[in-house]
Amino acid sequence: MLENRNQTNRKLLPSLRSSGGILLIVLIALCGVLVLSLLLSKTPARTLRYFFLGPLQNTYYFGNMLNSATPLIFGGLGVSLAMRSGNFNLGGEGQIYGGALVTTLFAIYLAPLGVLGAIMALFIGASFAGALAGLSGFLRMKWNTSELITSFLISNAVVLVMNYLISGPFMDPSTSLIATRKIPDSFRLSALLPPSSLSTALFFALVAVVAVHAYLYKTKSGYELRMTGLNSRFAKYGGINTRKFIVLPMFLSGFLYGLGGGFAIYGTYFSAIKEFSAGMGWNGLAVALIAKSKPSAVIPAALFFAYIEAGARSAMLHSDVTFEIAAIVQSIVFFLISSEVLLTLFEKKRRNP
Amino acid sequence: MQFTIPILHSAVTIMTPLLLASMGGLFTELSGMLNIALEGLLLMGAFCSIIFTHYTGSMVVGTVLGIGATMLLSAILASVTLNLKSNVFITGLATNLFASGLTVVLSFALFANKGVVVFDDIPSLPLLGTQALARIPIFGDIFIGHSAFVYLSWILLALSYFVLYRTPFGFRIRATGLHPEALSTLGMRPDRYRFASFLISGFTCGLGGALLTLNLGAFVPNITAGKGWIALVVIFLGNKKPFGLLIAAFIFGLADAFSNYAQGALNIPSDFILAIPYVFTLLAMVGSSIYAKKKGAIES
Repeated sequence: MLENRNQTNRKLLPSLRSSGGILLIVLIALCGVLVLSLLLSKTPARTLRYFFLGPLQNTYYFGNMLNSATPLIFGGLGVSLAMRSGNFNLGGEGQIYGGALVTTLFAIYLAPLGVLGAIMALFIGASFAGALAGLSGFLRMKWNTSELITSFLISNAVVLVMNYLISGPFMDPSTSLIATRKIPDSFRLSALLPPSSLSTALFFALVAVVAVHAYLYKTKSGYELRMTGLNSRFAKYGGINTRKFIVLPMFLSGFLYGLGGGFAIYGTYFSAIKEFSAGMGWNGLAVALIAKSKPSAVIPAALFFAYIEAGARSAMLHSDVTFEIAAIVQSIVFFLISSEVLLTLFEKKRRNP
Repeated sequence: MQFTIPILHSAVTIMTPLLLASMGGLFTELSGMLNIALEGLLLMGAFCSIIFTHYTGSMVVGTVLGIGATMLLSAILASVTLNLKSNVFITGLATNLFASGLTVVLSFALFANKGVVVFDDIPSLPLLGTQALARIPIFGDIFIGHSAFVYLSWILLALSYFVLYRTPFGFRIRATGLHPEALSTLGMRPDRYRFASFLISGFTCGLGGALLTLNLGAFVPNITAGKGWIALVVIFLGNKKPFGLLIAAFIFGLADAFSNYAQGALNIPSDFILAIPYVFTLLAMVGSSIYAKKKGAIES
């Protein structure tokens, strides 16, 4: 009995220590909310109450929070997969947006095929997003161009081109929104917790978490991917085709982002609205950084980010601050999340007892 | 051909924020840090300068305070990156996200307005130039009659050349990028020179941002619209040399001035024009890495 408890302690403590840095960063970011409310709001108590408790207040807000976590789970998984292989995918914005638009267009076109059409459209949209990210992987494999920068640049250009396509050739003139036509009713996922916009897309996100986890830890290819990320030269001498693990993880990373965009269309938006996904890509990246690229940790990290956004939205509706305080809080997380000093703050003690 | 002179004249103004931002970025680049925060720093400078000008009633004081605020942000960026040992790309993104969030939040808090804020109390920028110089054909038409920012940027360009290539401080900044260990061995701290170069980029971006808003007499959300990223391309295209920056920035200024002129005439969707800097940067990056790989293959 006692021995058993010691064992759990031994397992629990290091994992607490290694996430201590992350918890500290989260705490600093939440202090940022406090400071911002005190500085900017005439009714700081009201602002804080709605920021922190608003998202949990009723099923509407709570459902919406879970719903906005859904694309972040996909994005977080995508970035995690890339980072595990030693690559960086900063093109999430364009990949979500592009994946969503291509999915929407094919969903409308493939409407007669029913469920098969829905799956095909989703697959095509996600593959398009995968190709965008895969291109960066290809450029790195071929000429050693930094995939970090190219994925970002490609994404920025793609976002603008998608804006043009949505507001130009594919715009639906019958609505006042700048958006494409809606996908067929039969393609829409059913709602959970109405009247919130939560849909069964959340379940698909959870399936994706299990799938990515299984791929990384239970398959040969996943093992090779992780080895390449840990030490590319060692992996190469071990007979792993490391060039493959530059392009493939980038493709899969974009594919997951594209799925996130596609499911957002099927579950929530039903048509590609101009700039509907703005910020989702970056938040997906932050989620992966907070989760330290662990698929299972992506879920709480995505919930944290969705919570900040939902809190800011609720504070905006019920108090006198604007939604963009979410961007400031998120930027605090970004500032600190890659800090080696903060992340190893609690681990050092273990090394020098 | 009568439209070429006005295009060239406006190109000189348009290139100035690019030149200033890339000048500061050159210091960070040479010290071995990829500074993608130029965009956020420019935005910070643009917003703070016009706000301070509005509240102090003086353009000079407003610009100086705006530069101060921008340098403060660059100091935060530098200390998080260097002292807390963070990835410079991610902290740079954080700076950009922070600046775009902060400017909207402050604009809302101060003016209850998240859109364009027009300042009627701010006069247009005084244009400098003497009659004698302005009368010189072509040269006078293109280079005379700009605001003080433009001439200041040229002086600063000459100064950065002098600092980087003629002073020990400049040598050490460049050494930091080339071989930080060598500097450490000599008892100097590479991180100090990196910190200084971040501050310099905060200074030049503050000045460049000030020109953007003071020239317009208004703050527009996301007024920088990718200028910080283009400034990075200018550094690469300018071959990381001060006078190379001048040429590269002028090319972009000219392209911008021409597209402003041609937008109506050629009827290109504005989204495509906005996408050009990113595509251009991408091609420049791929081109330079192909070049580097070929060169590496020949040398080895």
